[in-house]
Amino acid sequence: MHLKTFLVVLAAGAAFARGSFGQDQASTLGTPQQGRIGRGRGPRPVGPPGPVPRLSDGHPDLSGVWNGFGGSGQDGPMQPWAAKIVAEHRKNGGAEDFEARCLPGGPPRAAPYHTSLFATPKLVLMLFEGNTHMYRQFFVDGSDHPKNLKPTWYGDSRAHWDGDTLVVDTVGLFEKSWYDFGGTPHTKQMHLIETFHRRDFGNLEMKVTIDDPGALTMPWIVNRTSTLETNFEMTEYVCNENNQDPAHLDAGIGK
Amino acid sequence: MWGRPSFYVVCQCLFALLLSMFSLFVPALSAQTKKGVPPVVARKPPAPPSGPTPRAEDGNVDLSGIWVPDSILLPGDPSYQPWAKKLYEERKANKGADDPERLCLPDGAVRVNPLPYKIVQGPKMVVLLWEGNTHSYRRFFLDGRAHNFDIEPESWTGQSIGNWEGDTLVVDTLGFNDKTWLDATGKPHSEAMHLTERYRRPDLGHLKVDLTIEDTKAFTKPYSFTRSFTLAPRNWELQEYICQAILDGIE
Repeated sequence: MHLKTFLVVLAAGAAFARGSFGQDQASTLGTPQQGRIGRGRGPRPVGPPGPVPRLSDGHPDLSGVWNGFGGSGQDGPMQPWAAKIVAEHRKNGGAEDFEARCLPGGPPRAAPYHTSLFATPKLVLMLFEGNTHMYRQFFVDGSDHPKNLKPTWYGDSRAHWDGDTLVVDTVGLFEKSWYDFGGTPHTKQMHLIETFHRRDFGNLEMKVTIDDPGALTMPWIVNRTSTLETNFEMTEYVCNENNQDPAHLDAGIGK
Repeated sequence: MWGRPSFYVVCQCLFALLLSMFSLFVPALSAQTKKGVPPVVARKPPAPPSGPTPRAEDGNVDLSGIWVPDSILLPGDPSYQPWAKKLYEERKANKGADDPERLCLPDGAVRVNPLPYKIVQGPKMVVLLWEGNTHSYRRFFLDGRAHNFDIEPESWTGQSIGNWEGDTLVVDTLGFNDKTWLDATGKPHSEAMHLTERYRRPDLGHLKVDLTIEDTKAFTKPYSFTRSFTLAPRNWELQEYICQAILDGIE
């Protein structure tokens, strides 16, 4: 019992020392820059004005390097069993958060670093600067989710246009991932809808709907905005390089 | 003869007992120290369809598609300076024990792994996605920008600027660190590496990339070779491969 407590305290201390549950982990960046940190800690900046750029097929071109997509800062409408788990996560300082071990944060989670969108008529890519520096693919080609999807960390995303809003539908999400800072548990029923509306040249509006009847009492809707980054390019963030202390964050791994 | 065991017999028995107990722990210890993901199993594509080189809306050759590398090893060896040759020999002697790829660190821009790659082409940028290794991406900027190393002078995959020269996309990459291996045998390079890739699509089903690597600190002269890729069938898509999850035993 004492050993377990000691390990939990050590893990919690390590998690807090690393900051933001591991996202400020040793990167090759120098001084902090506008948009990389500080999201949600003050008034949100407004992006540069201008008309919405368009693709050759007339749809809005969502391409750009976008500043950190903010979180809601609130808990979702959780069923009691799920709320209990989130409370335990908080007590442990998020020590079991896979993101701190350089594993993906499941959608719709986005690290405070940049997210780039690269749009072509049939495929929109979401490229992450932070976390695991991976990508999501949104197929805008009229195809359906495959049958018998094997759950994956990023799920399967199919998208269509509703006027000038891109609607991205994602299913097949691996249940163990943490899709927010609290590690709200999710079930096989989780169905994620994200909409992207480029209001003008420099401003992106997003709506996230998490529909998970197994864990939530009702759909959880979060509105987010982002601004176009015009000063800096995305850098390469290699989370598992210089990962100093993973051994002290192994509480709960594999369970 | 069967009287009390002598001191030496007792010691030998104890030693044997300790040794056998130790052998119970040794396998566990080597499992911890010999960490690394297992090698991936390649999916070999069938012969691709024949057909002419497709073109994008802007008239350029369209490199888009899912591509499977024909080979992951570099032919021959670069002409190495003595320190680099020594390092290469050490890595070969260690049989890849320190391979960064086994620890889920990036392959970089030269090395390929057997799993598929996807090219997504736009007029101002081309993105290369890979399924394996770090499941990450490279971006080739075609918008006329110059290299800018103010913020990130070194990275695993470098910074890539692209230009069309007729039907060839020429990609110029600088700003490497020295941490990647050029292939699984452990070929080294320095942070002075300068990579030029010439992407060609001679017909529908084939992609050719002519690589020229210059490295004033590690090579005595430039090293060049051509890498071939085969177009994957239309019903193939990039799968999710999360190296770190395999390494951690979560998947």
